[in-house]
Amino acid sequence: MRWVIGAVGLVLLGWGAVELLPVVLDSPLSLGGWLVGGPVVHDALIAPVVGVGGVVIARVLPKPWRAPVGAGLVVSAILVVLSIPYLWRSFSGPLTPGLHDRPYLLGLLVALAVVWVVVAIVGLTRRENTPAAP
Amino acid sequence: MKVRPPEETDFKSPTHGPRVSARIGLWLGIAFGLCFATGLISHGIQHPAAWFTWPSRPVNLYRITQGIHVTSGVAAIPLLLAKLWSVYPKLFGKPLVKSIPHALERGSIFVLIGASFFELLTGVFNVAQNYPWAFFFPTAHYAVAWIATGSLLVHIAVKLPVIREALTRKTTEDPKPTTGALSRRGFLLTTGGAVGVAVLATVGGTVPWLRTVSVFASRSATGVPINRLAAAAGVTAADSSWRLTVGDRRFSLDELRAMPQTTAELPIACVEGWSATVTWTGVPVKDLLERAGLPAGSEVQVESSEKGGLYRSTTLPGTHTSDPLTLLALRMNGEELTLDHGYPCRLIAPSRPGVLQTKWVSRLEVR
Repeated sequence: MRWVIGAVGLVLLGWGAVELLPVVLDSPLSLGGWLVGGPVVHDALIAPVVGVGGVVIARVLPKPWRAPVGAGLVVSAILVVLSIPYLWRSFSGPLTPGLHDRPYLLGLLVALAVVWVVVAIVGLTRRENTPAAP
Repeated sequence: MKVRPPEETDFKSPTHGPRVSARIGLWLGIAFGLCFATGLISHGIQHPAAWFTWPSRPVNLYRITQGIHVTSGVAAIPLLLAKLWSVYPKLFGKPLVKSIPHALERGSIFVLIGASFFELLTGVFNVAQNYPWAFFFPTAHYAVAWIATGSLLVHIAVKLPVIREALTRKTTEDPKPTTGALSRRGFLLTTGGAVGVAVLATVGGTVPWLRTVSVFASRSATGVPINRLAAAAGVTAADSSWRLTVGDRRFSLDELRAMPQTTAELPIACVEGWSATVTWTGVPVKDLLERAGLPAGSEVQVESSEKGGLYRSTTLPGTHTSDPLTLLALRMNGEELTLDHGYPCRLIAPSRPGVLQTKWVSRLEVR
């Protein structure tokens, strides 16, 4: 079973490489940057920031607040990531009626406000029922 | 304090390890599977192989498959990040390379992660019609999808015993971390919450009742979006000399208006994931072919008076030309088409990508 899955995977991988060849020849730098950029930025920047952030939260915040603030930061970061294609539009075409014309910055701020109200409510209610450390 | 690079054993949080990564990996695998399958469908409709057919009913079918495509991609963003966090300590495993198979495995994981980020990020940028790259998006996104799926299958094959162990082993819930930090369960719940928020923030582009909730929907809360303006397509308003050519027959606009009209509620569903339901009125393509003496159910080439562009000419398969709801629309929502919506007439067929719903139609030709 494992060998079958692996073999099918290799065939698909090879097919993808064949399909990608014209793009590789046409715009190698742009394609290469986008392909390598994800893992590099994640491993060298995003994950270390998350790790250090976790340590800082554990040292600075009172216990009942640590988990909700951590979760709130994660959800906020996802919202920021999703907003980038709408807020940084240096490479987009002209807007057409009915598309990409929402108040995206306001939308982001409202969404973040909702997230942090939830974090505050959870943090305040956890204060009473968190068991003391042994 | 002496500063040194981290080692695998330095990461003590319960949010790392196979029990977390197998679970998140399962959700991520489902999201990728849905995304890949619906992507192949959309590719198949736009570049049909000889054996490929796509039904014209239910009328919302393409709207649903493409909505799933974009939504599963959005959902995969927090899942991918959570998955990578759960295995991050492995990056610092020593020795860096143990053997040739180990080196190949690490290499395949690099390919998998690179291809995964590529697909998800280029996807969300493309939905926003924002192109910070030099390549042609559809070709690259399609090719890398095969690479991502292939390397995912290789990864699953390599890790199958670990996955099985982690998902089936009966375990007691670990005690909550006494530091108040995220427990394993808390991490899974946070990931689920982030997925839910990401989906809610975007899915209103296609789900009508979430239109106002989704702050990052690509379309406006009201109205019918216009992807290509007449000015951009080089089209000016047709005058009374305008004729629609169908085979050897030519129809004036008044002749089209005098033919029996069909009114139908059909979605316009973009490959970029947004959709809008519109009430269209027009002449069934089926009737036009009949009047022109052309065989019913023929594959038809639809041409536009656009001056150029990728979608100036499209192919309408026989399944759609024989469907009485495939219209050459003259009116939308009770009013005559505006020039930007395709005046004097546009194609609207059930269960088709928006880019193939040709505007400013000038000619129908049996292929």
